[in-house]
Amino acid sequence: MNNLTELANKLLGDGTATKVIGYEEAHGKTRPCFCTEAADTGRLVLDERCTNNIAVYLTKPEIVGGHKVAVTATLPVLRTMVQLAMENQLPDGTTAIVSTESGEGLAVLPTVGDMERVVAGTPLDISGKERELRERLKAMSREERWQFWLGEMSRCIKCYACRAACPLCYCTRCIVDNNCPQWIQPWASPLASMEWQISRVMHMAGRCVACGACKQACPMGIPIHLLTLSLAEDIQNEFGVAPGSVMDHGNVLSTFKPGDKEDFIR
Amino acid sequence: MSKIGVFICHCGENIGATVDCAKVAEAAASMEGVAFATDYKYMCSDPGQTLIKNAIREHRLDGVVVGACSPRMHEPTFRKACAEAGLNPYLCEIANLREHCSWVHPKGDDTTEKAIEIVHGLVEKVRRNSPLTPIHVPITKKALVIGGGIAGIQAALDIANCGHKVILVEKEPSIGGHMSQLSETFPTLDCSQCILTPRMVEVAQHPNITLYTYAELDSLSGFIGNFEAKIRLKAKSIDESLCTGCGLCTTKCPQKKIPSEFNAGLGRRTAIYVPFPQAVPNKPVIDKEHCTHYRTGKCGVCEKVCPTHAIRFGQEDRIINEQVGAVVVTTGFNVLGTDFFPEYGYGRYADVITGLQFERLASASGPTLGEIRRPSDGKVPEKVVFIACCGSRDPAKGIPYCSKICCMYTAKHAMLYQHKVHGGESYVFYMDIRAGGKNYEEFVRRAIEEDHVNYVRGRVARIYEKEGKLIVKGVDTLLGATPVEIEADMVVLATAGVSNQGSEELAQKLHISYDPYKFFAEAHPKLRPVETNTAGIFVAGACQAPKDIPETVATASGAAAKVAALFSQPDLVREPLVAVVNRSAPPVFSTCVGCFMCQTACPYQAIEREEIKDRSGKVIKVVAKVNPGLCQGCGTCVAFCRSKSIDLQGFSNQQMFAEVEALLETTN
Amino acid sequence: MSNDNNSAFEPRIIAFVCNWCTYAGADLTGTSRIKYATNVRIVRFPCTGRIDFLLLLKAFASGADGIIVSGCHPNDCHYTSGNFHARRRWMVFRSLLDTLGIDTRRIRYSWVSAAEGAKWADLVNDTVATIRELGPYNEYKKVADYLGKEAGDE
Repeated sequence: MNNLTELANKLLGDGTATKVIGYEEAHGKTRPCFCTEAADTGRLVLDERCTNNIAVYLTKPEIVGGHKVAVTATLPVLRTMVQLAMENQLPDGTTAIVSTESGEGLAVLPTVGDMERVVAGTPLDISGKERELRERLKAMSREERWQFWLGEMSRCIKCYACRAACPLCYCTRCIVDNNCPQWIQPWASPLASMEWQISRVMHMAGRCVACGACKQACPMGIPIHLLTLSLAEDIQNEFGVAPGSVMDHGNVLSTFKPGDKEDFIR
Repeated sequence: MSKIGVFICHCGENIGATVDCAKVAEAAASMEGVAFATDYKYMCSDPGQTLIKNAIREHRLDGVVVGACSPRMHEPTFRKACAEAGLNPYLCEIANLREHCSWVHPKGDDTTEKAIEIVHGLVEKVRRNSPLTPIHVPITKKALVIGGGIAGIQAALDIANCGHKVILVEKEPSIGGHMSQLSETFPTLDCSQCILTPRMVEVAQHPNITLYTYAELDSLSGFIGNFEAKIRLKAKSIDESLCTGCGLCTTKCPQKKIPSEFNAGLGRRTAIYVPFPQAVPNKPVIDKEHCTHYRTGKCGVCEKVCPTHAIRFGQEDRIINEQVGAVVVTTGFNVLGTDFFPEYGYGRYADVITGLQFERLASASGPTLGEIRRPSDGKVPEKVVFIACCGSRDPAKGIPYCSKICCMYTAKHAMLYQHKVHGGESYVFYMDIRAGGKNYEEFVRRAIEEDHVNYVRGRVARIYEKEGKLIVKGVDTLLGATPVEIEADMVVLATAGVSNQGSEELAQKLHISYDPYKFFAEAHPKLRPVETNTAGIFVAGACQAPKDIPETVATASGAAAKVAALFSQPDLVREPLVAVVNRSAPPVFSTCVGCFMCQTACPYQAIEREEIKDRSGKVIKVVAKVNPGLCQGCGTCVAFCRSKSIDLQGFSNQQMFAEVEALLETTN
Repeated sequence: MSNDNNSAFEPRIIAFVCNWCTYAGADLTGTSRIKYATNVRIVRFPCTGRIDFLLLLKAFASGADGIIVSGCHPNDCHYTSGNFHARRRWMVFRSLLDTLGIDTRRIRYSWVSAAEGAKWADLVNDTVATIRELGPYNEYKKVADYLGKEAGDE
């Protein structure tokens, strides 16, 4: 038995949790796994292959309803949990299991305050391919950017996989399902896709934890995460609010400072 | 299918001269959903309104667009007319064809086209309007008055005499405020205390007034008609029900050298004290900062001598909750000290005093029992210089405004000095004499002509001490800026009136606005002088700007009248243009997911949490709910709501969406 | 973006304004009889805080060439803080539009108080001139007409 299994069994045994949401190995990758008894916990793994944001299940009543949940959390998952807590969406008594900093041991975070402390001090850092793409976009002229996105958006099939994968898209009724008025046309056209993405990203402003779930989910491979990432970075620069540090600042869009600086309102 | 009526007003020539009104009406008649359209010379006139009413009845209209002047002008008029014809008034919208069209554009097709488009936008909007009914909010008919100076006393008495309950809160141990410190009052020279103290006693004895002295407002929540005030009753360290006010404790207290606030620092008081003999209530408090017992744990003389054993060293501050329907803020003002003025000695010279200190010297109840004796050595000054506008009207000192009362009280001071010190010489340095007020100018003339006060128009540049005299150096600008030097025995500075300490914090507690000098702002400088921008909160007296006693009393009575008017209604009727969180059938209950981002965005704390429970009382869902009594209808929450679960009545998503699309549609 | 056939081009501009400052300011422009271009259509909102970013997108999709958004100056909001919230929203929205390559020069943000009648006229004239220079927003209109074009003439 590995440490993770042992810890999961302990939480299930002492009543801290009645369900553990985690990852298991499948076909050389990982997939979500739900354990309610000790017999299941042997499958649990928590390593760098765990890239899905399983916090998405925390707002699904059919999965968490009636359960006390423990989540094996990577940093993006933990950030999501803090954000959900701030938005009153984290079920009461949810705990997180995380790898300790050294990567060797495991720790249990029983309260949101504990999760926040871990998340704090890890500002968003865009690197690798994302950074490259963002810089490429920045270097383009406005018209080129428009053509770039128009090309990308025209491939969108409006499947809303980005919405389904995002742990922070938990509305009972999404704006695209609202037809009084019909804010966004239901069919897939560049305009409708563009408007949907603008809405999605605006709704994510100051909330996105930059986990990349939307990108992974998109069957057309549209780099939509770049929009949320760019905005998250801009918000971090503009307002000094990093993802997951919301508890101190309040939500970026529903709070303000009288001294907010801009240069375009005259 | 809607049946909208469109009524285009010519406004005489105002619209008709540049906009082809008949053509606008004709175009409107062919718009979708329009059942009737016409134009008329003066739609707001009686025949015009009758035309609208008849059309509503005849064509069974279910919506009205009036193309006329700005809705800020006649929206209420036309909505009332609609209501009189049996149409819900909120189904009437105004297309602004005058201020936004005919007055700003030349006569021509473009202008008429614009008018048609504006009308089209509002036709599409009004088709989506809902009938609304005004909101009724109950009123707690009890007022809170903050500050027990003459303004607070007057307001409290006026409201109480209307038969309403009043809570009067004063932070000092006694009510009375600055007026109780004054000697005589201009322009009649009647004794300030003689006219004030009966009012103070009346407050204390009035069955409708509850008086809390040595108390301050801790917080205020709620809204007009329904405020909840938390009031901190500071520990007086005595049991007021036992204390008889005999005064034995104050005579025996060994701490006797504390500067008396009431005497503006010129006299001394004890640590357990009554601020002045006529104080209301006439019971002492212990000043914990100076009391030996609180500082060292020793002494306790007052406890030993008190015949009724009323001393309570262990007493703590208490916070009480009061439900009130209106608040009157009368927290008064303050005057700058002499230490504000480097050129006049920075407060180093004992015989350079403020006007307020002079009041105490001239007052029969003051430290010199009304004889004018200078503070340094108690000598009667033979030559006194009064300097007006000390700080006031001086942008360099950060006080560009006129303190208003100084011209008059300086004349009064000089006059009192001349009456009390026969053969004394007095000089007044002034910038202008501002004596606008009933009998004010005559009063100043009397000082100059009958009491021979020397008025010198000019400023004093410097004061310094030389051989026991204060050398006052200034200029006389009426004599071609001739330098003037006076060897004075005492100098009185008419220092600027400034806002009271803590007024900024108080304004924030009350959510009322204030000006750059921290004086409270009125809702409108001319037409709503005693109201604030927060409904149900009123201001009176010098907390608003420096004021003399008559003006202070007038505004206090004005504020009281406003409160009485509010309390005379059975309940409060408010515009229904408020936000609403949708509700639907189970199991959804509402599309609101309860993220409560709207809560932090709301400037009025109008968004509450509502728990939706099943039959067994188990909470199924927590959703947002708007308190219509608090909501002011700004709609900031609406723009935040991701799932569009909040909407604003009168400016709903459907209405605004349709208006925007329609405005851009016509010429396509 | 310049357009050679702009001589006959009349920009279509929609203004989203708050009731208490800019709407009243525009009323004052009228009362003062200050003339300005006829190209603007005003939509009255209670407060800038009420203005949904989606309505701005809808305006472009419906054929607007330019947009004015205006309300009370900071600290002057009738509702104390609606304009501060709006300001943050526009800061974020503008940065997103820029990332997407939407022409942010076509949305003009301003503070116009109830006493600034002349400023309102200048704002409208200035915006009309800017948009005239930029030409019609065909870029966006083409995308908005996507279905029509596909089914119809193209």
